[in-house]
Formats: sequence, C-alpha cells, structure tokens
Amino acid sequence: MVRKKLAMLGLTLLMTASLTACGGGGNSGKNNASSAEPSGNASASNSASNTAQEDKTPVTFTYFNANSQVPDIDSNKTEIGKKLEEQTGVNFKLQFPVGDVNTKIGTMIASGDYPDVLAPDTAIDKILEAKAFIPLNDLIEQYGPNIKRVYGPYFNQMKQADGNIYFLPFSAVVGDYLPAPTIGQGAFFIQRRVLKEFGYPKIKTLDEYFDLIKKYNDAHKSEGLTGFTSLTYDWRTMGIFNAPMHLAGYPNDGDVTVDMATHKSNVYADDDSTKNWLKKLNEINNEGLYDKSSFVNNYDQYLAKVSSGKVLGFFDYEWEVDQAIQNIRKTGNDDLDYMPLPIVFDQNTKDQYLDPNSFVDNRGVGITTSAKDPVRIIKFFDNMLKEENQIMIQWGFKGETYEVNDQGRFYLTPEQIEARKDNATNQKVGFTYFNYSWPMYGTASTLSDGNAYAVNSQPEVAQASFTEGDRNILEKYGVRTFSELFAAPDDRPWYPAWSISIEQGSPAEIFQQKSKDVKLKYFPKLVLAKPDQFDAIWDEYLKEFGKLDVKGFESTMDELIAAKIAKVTGGAN
Amino acid sequence: MDNQTAAPAAGTPAVPKPNNPKPKGAKRFFKLLLKQKALIFMSVPFVIWIFVFKYLPLWGWTIAFQHYRPNLSMFQQEWVGLSQFKFLFSDDAFIRVMRNTVAMAVIKLVLGFVTAITLAILLNELRIIFFKRFVQTISYLPHFISWVVAANLISTALSIDGDGIINKVLVGLHIIHEPIMWLGIGPYFWGILGISEVWKDVGWNTIVYLAAMTMIDPSQYEAAEIDGANRFQRILRVTLPGLKPVIIILLIMNLGNILETGFEPQYLMGNGMNAEYSENLEIFVLKYGISMGNFSLATAAGMFKTVVSFILLFSANAMAKRMGEERLF
Repeated sequence: MVRKKLAMLGLTLLMTASLTACGGGGNSGKNNASSAEPSGNASASNSASNTAQEDKTPVTFTYFNANSQVPDIDSNKTEIGKKLEEQTGVNFKLQFPVGDVNTKIGTMIASGDYPDVLAPDTAIDKILEAKAFIPLNDLIEQYGPNIKRVYGPYFNQMKQADGNIYFLPFSAVVGDYLPAPTIGQGAFFIQRRVLKEFGYPKIKTLDEYFDLIKKYNDAHKSEGLTGFTSLTYDWRTMGIFNAPMHLAGYPNDGDVTVDMATHKSNVYADDDSTKNWLKKLNEINNEGLYDKSSFVNNYDQYLAKVSSGKVLGFFDYEWEVDQAIQNIRKTGNDDLDYMPLPIVFDQNTKDQYLDPNSFVDNRGVGITTSAKDPVRIIKFFDNMLKEENQIMIQWGFKGETYEVNDQGRFYLTPEQIEARKDNATNQKVGFTYFNYSWPMYGTASTLSDGNAYAVNSQPEVAQASFTEGDRNILEKYGVRTFSELFAAPDDRPWYPAWSISIEQGSPAEIFQQKSKDVKLKYFPKLVLAKPDQFDAIWDEYLKEFGKLDVKGFESTMDELIAAKIAKVTGGAN
Repeated sequence: MDNQTAAPAAGTPAVPKPNNPKPKGAKRFFKLLLKQKALIFMSVPFVIWIFVFKYLPLWGWTIAFQHYRPNLSMFQQEWVGLSQFKFLFSDDAFIRVMRNTVAMAVIKLVLGFVTAITLAILLNELRIIFFKRFVQTISYLPHFISWVVAANLISTALSIDGDGIINKVLVGLHIIHEPIMWLGIGPYFWGILGISEVWKDVGWNTIVYLAAMTMIDPSQYEAAEIDGANRFQRILRVTLPGLKPVIIILLIMNLGNILETGFEPQYLMGNGMNAEYSENLEIFVLKYGISMGNFSLATAAGMFKTVVSFILLFSANAMAKRMGEERLF
C-alpha cells in the first residue's frame, strides 16, 4: 500500500517536474545564451572607447539576413569573417530565411524576439513600424567615423520621419560613380545562337525580337525549343508584370511609371502598354512559341528550364536568372548563353533599362532592440567600412583572390576569375556572406586610389572576365561592354519608386495586393486565350481592375514621390 | 454534463456499501474529493497545463478588436470595435475564399472517410499477412512526406513538360490529345487536392478503423457464417455496424475541424490561374493579415473560424445524442 502511494506520488512529482521544466525551458535557455556571451562589455567598452585599447573579447551575435538564401554559417568559419574577428573579436551567427520572408519577420515581431542584427529586406517597413530597430544617431556620432564618412552625404535620406536613422542602406556611392559594365538589371534576353544564325542583327523593337525568335524556331522545329518563357511565382512576378514599363521606355519604378516633367505616377497595369505586351504574348502563344507552363512553374522549375539551354528568350532581371546563366556558362557552349537587349515598343522610344544613380533607402541592415551590445556591433560596422576592409570584403586577399599591377591597378588572373564563379569558393572565402547586406559602399563606388570598388566594375576585370564568346558578340555589335548597348539613364531624383515605403496595411498596400491578385488571375487568361477572345477578356480585366482604387493609389504615390524628391534634392529636413 | 461523466466513476466504488446513507450536496462532493484525492492530485498538472496553454492565450483574442501594433502595450492599443470583422466579411474575396474552404473541407472529409473505411475493410478481409503488411506499409509512406516535397512531386507529375507522367500516360493511351495543364485550370484544383490528400493520408487513416475492427467479437462472424452470410453480407451486417461508433466519433471530431482545410497544399500548388479555386481562408489571412502586419485581421479570422467550428461540433454532437448514437461528450 505504502509502496503504491509512494509510486503514485513519484509519478505525480515527475509530471509536475516535467511540466515546470517545459514552462521554464524558454527562460533558462535565454539565461544560458546570455551568460555564455560576455555581455558585460557594454559599459567596459563605453569607457574604453576613447582609449587606444579596443575591446576584443570574443563575442557572438546573431544576424538574420533576409536578402539571400544561402546556408547558415558562423562568420568566423569564412576567411573574411576570420580576419574581421581578429580585428574586433566579433563573430556572427549568420542566419538566412527559408520560405517566405514576410511571414518569418511577422513571427519575429509577434514574439518580440529578434536577432541582434537584422536585414529584413522587403519587410523593413514592418520592422520600423514595430520599432524593432534602435536609433543609430548617437552610436554613429560616438563610434562611427567611417560610417559618417561613407553615409554622411545620405543622412538626410536615411532619416525616418522622427529624424532618427534606424538602418544603414547598401547603396551609398563613395568616390566617383562608376556604372557596371554588365547588365545586372532587367533586359530582354535572347540566346546568342539566334543572333549568330542571322548575322547579329541590330534589333530594337518587340516585334523584331519575336520575329527573330520565330524565324529561328521555325528553322529548328525538331529540337523541342521553347520560344519565350516567363515566371510568375510568389513575389517573383516581375518577369511578366514589369515588361510593359520597360518596353514603353521607363526604368523599373515598380507598379507605376513616373512622368519626367510632372512627377505624376501612373499605374500602367491597365494601360495600352500592358495590353500591347499581353497581346504580343498571346500572339506568340498561338504560334506555339510561348511556354504555357510559365504560369504554373515555380522558381526552381523556371531556373531548370532556363538552365536547359532550350529557351530562346525571356524577359527578366539578371539577378533573378543569374544562377541559370552561370549554369549555362559552365557548359562552355557560348551559343547557349544569353545576350541582354534593350527592347522597346517602337523605334523612336529611348530605352531606360539601366538604373539611374540612386540611393535605395528602403533596404538596409539595422541593430534590433534585442541586441545585447549595440556598441560592439556599431564598432564592428564602422570597422568594416574602413577602406582596407571594404577592399578585403569585395576583392579578398592580395595574391590569393586578386593581384595588383605596378600601377596599383587591381586585376584578377584567369584562374582567380574562374574561382570567383564557384559558389563553394565564394562561401569559403566569405564573399557570399560579406559582399552584400552589410554596411558597405554602393557597388558603383570607386576606391581612393581610383580602382573600382566592385570587382566586376573594374574595367580590367570586366574585360578579362568576358568569355571568348562575350568578346566576340560585343565586337559584332561594336561595343566594349554590355551596358553600352543601352541608353544612358536620365536623372530621376525619386528613383526607384518601388523602394518608397508604403504604410503597412494602408489602402495603398491593400491595392498592391489586390491588383496583384487580379493581374495574376487575368494575365494567364489573356495570354493563353484564343486570339479572337483577347479583347473581350481584356475588357473584363479592365472592369475588374477598375473596381480597385487606382486613383487613390496614384495620389498616394504622387505624394510619396514628391516627398522623396524633396528629401533627395534637399528641400525637406 | 459533469454529472454524467462523473457519476459512473464515482458510483462504482460506492455501491458495495448499501447501509451507508448517501451524503448529499457539498458534503458528498468533499467526500468524493477525499476519496479520489489521488486522481484529483494527478490531474492537477494537466488542468494547470490546459489553463495556461489553452485558456490564457484566449486573452489574445482582444487584438481582433484593435488596430494592433506589436510594439505598443495593451493600454496603448487603438480599439476599433468590429471593423476588422467588417473588412473580413465585406471583402469580395471572402465569399470566394469561404466557398473554397468549405468545398475543399467537404471533399476532404467525404473522400477521406470513404477511402479509409473501404481500404480498412479490404485489408481486414485479406488473409495473406505478408500482402496485408505490404499494402499497409506502402499506403502509410506518403503520410511521412512533407507537403513541400509532396507538392513538388504532384506538380511535376502534372506538368505539361517532358517529365509530367500523368499527361504522358493519358496521351499515350489516347484518352486526351494534347497535354493538359492540370494545375492551370481552376475547377480541377479541388479534385487534384482531394486525390492528393487521399494519396497522402489514406493509409494512415485506416489505422484507427483496423484497430476498431479487432475489437469486434469474432463469434459474431462465426454466428453470421453459420447463418449462411457470405463475405459481403458479413461486411455489411457485422463489420460496418461494429465500426459505427468509431465512425460517428471521428465524424463529429472532424466536423469540428472542418474549416481547417490546411494551408500547405493550397499554398504550394496554388498559382494565379487556379487561385479562384485554391485560395482558402488560411491563404487569405496570410495575404491580408500576416503579410501586411495586420495581426488583428488574422485574429478576427481565427476567431470566426473557432466560432463556426464550435457551432458545428456542438450541433453534430447534439444530433448524435438525439439519434441515440455514440457521441463525444
């Protein structure tokens, strides 16, 4: 009997114990984490900051970076990270998103539990609204001479409505503005074998572009080629949504085009430009040139498709298809590589594919309210912005990943160029983890000795990293770089309008979501319809789209654009 | 309700002492309490657990009536009454989303029940143990694949490109002339989802029925056999009635979850072309609630779902009670 009772008691105790253990789990975990990392340095470093003796006690911070999807890693496992740790004692646990960024950030906000450092990408408005970033003004003032040097000219634009700076963007140009020699943004891509077969014709209009693809496809019926493909998956809908804007001669301003003179915005999804674009796609679809599964493919399927080398053309942003193009380059068959072209609707339109010089002020990296030691972090940031570290982060190590000639010009040997194309090497050295999403010079910057800041912008490197085929095709078109084929960008002080942040859950944001839903519903219908039904469906689409508050969205954008222009040109605080 | 569940448990030990006059009211309560102190004591942690994890979070429902901002404290929030609900119910998309949710739920429920019960009966009739085990293992397997992987398998199988096996087979058999873009045609989505769910979970769902069948007294089968019942009649007159309580309980429980049609398959296989049919309440909430940082809307939708589920659950239970069948409580 006694034994039974004891057993019962024991059981009960066990249960209670396991319960309390569960309940306390979160807490004790936290305590461990904070005690494992010497957080008491805050005050120590405060007092020591002005002396020469820098605090280098090893410390590990967490950094969630929503800008890229690469494997998680400890920063000191990379060569660059190791060097930076030697300088500062700071190591970062780098974490990257899996799946939808907005949801992930939403959960962070709901729990109030942030990493020490956060680059929230598109979700930055939510983070700002949740006041999850700490203001950096005083920290920069006290510990950030290099931050001041790099970002000083842009402080005006970096300030939020309350006058505080909460995060550091990635596009502050230092030195002279040096445009990239290759196309990193949107363009109509066409496979080089198509151009080759017809003697490298100069094509400018959409009709010419598709005629060429059609001619090639007709001549190679048996090869199972895809004439033209696009992607509409998750947020990656630009391949089909954005083309009309570029075709009409505007740079990427997102959902709207902005008039150069009046600065008035216009939603182009219900314009003739969109109609003409979709009508053209409808036409080529009926000729069997369009890849029907464009509307159901996910991103992986799309990349696989482009990588296959059987796609003759597509419109997209280079960074979105970069992986696929790299895969094609690896095959060594230049004919399968792609050529970016500035295609427009008609001969007289001036293309504006290249980005004007602009400061993207709605992406950046900030320190969160959960950060254990903001001072150490801001010092780390400042240290990163020293020119020698910026060189290391972009160029790597002299004699290993880059060379310097006797005139002091940086260059890469062919082997080094080859090594740079290898993801594993880039991860090992740390380029993957450090050359973006940290406080940094904008990629169009130049170093104080005249070298380009970004490796690929260095003319010597660009020339050397062009393949045989690149050089050949550039020669055929009589240009030295790919960007020379494109018109020089006009100055647009508000640019890019897509980076202007719109208030969370505001009617404008709901409009964006709703218009996306309507477009996603009707665009496939329009493209895949029988040609004689196109106009009827277009009218139906216009009716549906017209139910949305287009005017309201445009006037919100007008206000925001005006505010941005004022800010950039120095008209406002 | 309490009385009914407590009475038999309390009654059994009390019965052997007929001379002892039954205490009434509070006295009886405390007497019982004392008698069952071990049980009560053991249940305390669980009551605490339920209270902490299931009741305290209900406090969070208040944000459905606010213009919730995560960084502000409870008292700084702006109270907006029912406006979140108004947005939810007045949105054009809501009706469509509800239709999809209910349709997919019903398809899932009916298909799920019918296929699982059928498979369980068929398996039960099998006499070759090896084959039975083989079929069971095969049919369980998809349950352990995550939806992310499953959705990729399904969309690849359905694709119109070279590797879409469904189109290949159908074209090869001359059932269709050219490949069909299955995921691009809205009305097909419900069917695709239904079949996918069956493929994924039919084996798993049979387990409970197979377990229930082992509880059926074998002498009933023997008696039926002596009475001349053939195999089909034995299934109809013995197995199915034996399963009835389990089926009804599961039906009631599933009715309570009817608005939970899941999120992953719809999200992963949905696209612009089938959104009209694939978008369910969860995706709507994700788009207009969580993604836009409007947690209040998400909560309002969650509340709405809970209330509907609650009503369904209780009415199904009451119906079962009225019909004199097994019920949940």
